[in-house]
Amino acid sequence: MKIWISLTLVALLSGCSGIGVKPWERDLLAQQDMQLISDPIEASLDDHVYFSKEGSSGGRGFGGGGCGCN
Amino acid sequence: MTQDKSNWQQGAALGSTLAAIGFSVLQGLPNQAMAGELEKWDVDAAVLQYVESDSRVQATEAVLGATRNFNSETQLNFKLTVDTLTGASPNGAMPDDQPQTFTRPSGNGRYTVDANALPLDDTFRDTRTTVAVQWSAPLGRDWTYSGGLGYSAEHDYESSSLNASLSRFFNQKNTTLTLASSMSLDTISPEGGLPIGLSAVPEWSSTSFDADFDASRQEGSYADKQVIDVVLGLTQVIDRRTLMQFNYSLSFSAGYMTDPYKLVSVFDQPGGIVQGYRYEERPDSRLKQALFWQTKHQLQGGDIIDGSYRYLFDDWGMTSHTLDLKYRWGLGNQYLEPQIRWYRQSAIDAYQPYITSAQLAENPEALTADYRLGDFDAWTVGLRYGYRFNADTEVYTRIAAYQQLPRDFASDTTPANSGDLPGMTALMLTLGVKF
Amino acid sequence: MLWLLRPLSTIRLSRTAILLSLVLMPLVCTQAAEITPASQAKPAPLSDTVLPKIGGGELSLEQLQGQVVLVDFWASWCGPCRESFPWMNAIQDRYGDAGLVVVGINLDQESKAAQTFLQKVPANFTIVQDPQARLPEAYGLIGMPSSYLLDRQGRIRATHTGFHMGRVAEYEASIQQLLAE
Repeated sequence: MKIWISLTLVALLSGCSGIGVKPWERDLLAQQDMQLISDPIEASLDDHVYFSKEGSSGGRGFGGGGCGCN
Repeated sequence: MTQDKSNWQQGAALGSTLAAIGFSVLQGLPNQAMAGELEKWDVDAAVLQYVESDSRVQATEAVLGATRNFNSETQLNFKLTVDTLTGASPNGAMPDDQPQTFTRPSGNGRYTVDANALPLDDTFRDTRTTVAVQWSAPLGRDWTYSGGLGYSAEHDYESSSLNASLSRFFNQKNTTLTLASSMSLDTISPEGGLPIGLSAVPEWSSTSFDADFDASRQEGSYADKQVIDVVLGLTQVIDRRTLMQFNYSLSFSAGYMTDPYKLVSVFDQPGGIVQGYRYEERPDSRLKQALFWQTKHQLQGGDIIDGSYRYLFDDWGMTSHTLDLKYRWGLGNQYLEPQIRWYRQSAIDAYQPYITSAQLAENPEALTADYRLGDFDAWTVGLRYGYRFNADTEVYTRIAAYQQLPRDFASDTTPANSGDLPGMTALMLTLGVKF
Repeated sequence: MLWLLRPLSTIRLSRTAILLSLVLMPLVCTQAAEITPASQAKPAPLSDTVLPKIGGGELSLEQLQGQVVLVDFWASWCGPCRESFPWMNAIQDRYGDAGLVVVGINLDQESKAAQTFLQKVPANFTIVQDPQARLPEAYGLIGMPSSYLLDRQGRIRATHTGFHMGRVAEYEASIQQLLAE
């Protein structure tokens, strides 16, 4: 299973090398509303409810997107 | 009603104490320095009121987050959460055509449930406080890292956690690869001590109640659990308006995973007569894995669509699907965001709505009737409204309805109709401010 | 502790220390002012392109030949750009008379965003607009913000991707070196 995941990631990474935008085209991606977790507080409140009431939890990740500055 | 008022009062008291501390620290600084310092801070505060129908669980949760920005990429975040919970929760037993009497988890009392009513235990009344600190900073142009600590405590549960993550940028920061991990050490010290899994729940009316209760207790008054989480994520900018993320996550827990307050009804046969109740027992390790995908896309007018899907499976036999969709409709300096979530869970192998005497005689290794590990679908429908005074200040409110719909439990030995299994409807109201 | 009683070793030690610092010093010095030598420097591309100035009027970079030019590509949505403006204001003041011209090239697609930014973060240096991003493409910009130091002959002598308050001494040293040429 883990080997498949690593291979998929490598394929995705190399395939991804052409996709994207120029550094000066990140105006929309820099907006707070365009972050993957645009409201961490709402996300943590929801996570708490669903963790208490359901058998699943987690899955979300962090990082990436944004203005890509520096 | 009085319980609600005291929750809000507690929240308000906490808020004003924190504000007072903050102000007294700032008053030590000369005016200009104080203004300069305040500018570097972002504050996020929210209160959630959660209410289930039929006098079940009610909870109030207040969160206060403060982030100190050292520069645009380096920050230190503090978060304080206080939540209070009251109300009744299903105890795992099935409804019966006779009234049922249950011993309280502490062994110091009992409660009676009407005929044909879902057995609910209203012992739960708790306040939990959580504190967390998180640091994030860049490492050169190509890397960024983050690390944090967390601690939470309530009267019968304590948890300490540590997390760290590392991200690497590729393709002019269009691609980000992240490896995040966290570890937590939990201790549970339940009321009444730890029950021996699958032992008989003592009958309150029995003459040998005290001896029975002691016989159902494990040695020691607390138990531990350790959880390790690892997430491997890939975030990719697709175009100027679209961002995508793929994550693979793994969660391994070991230790005491049982809910010491939950029971399982024992019947002589399906639809027969209640013979008694047993304490539940869950396996002592669990490995969960999940695949997650999220996309965020901004439309021409500025509206944003956010969709995500998670597929989770574990070694307890459970699988779940979660589909989440949000649409942010921008209206100048306000926005309206409808949200919908669909969740489908299939039960763990050790889940059964009840057990028969014959099955019990075969000595199962694990058994739980906790509806939260059973077969059900859940829907959440919400609407969030926000008003932005300026780029840094926003007030928002969100109302959501959450409904759990159990599915029929198909089984040769212990079938059950969804009508006899605990469903749930809850209303959630959130109020928040950012500045 | 015995090594303290041996004066010969101590002399050897100090000789090694001197040699080491002589070897390392040029490395340290060049790190402080990483300038491409004039012979290897390429002329700034598209220097004849006319760009509108935000206060009115126009400018093309070739008009500034004879002066040292700090070309800074920025945008209203870029956090580090906000941090870089006070520093750029300071060096324009400090070295303006010596022949430094700071030119901020704004890459916002809508000039309104740039104007709102400038109301909150004022600039005392020249700001021009390139909404179609012709120049950054030609300069080969890989991150926002990016600054390019042009010498008095219009050649690119230094490139800095990103802005870090901790490195301003380095940036300033490069400027001083070019002003002295």
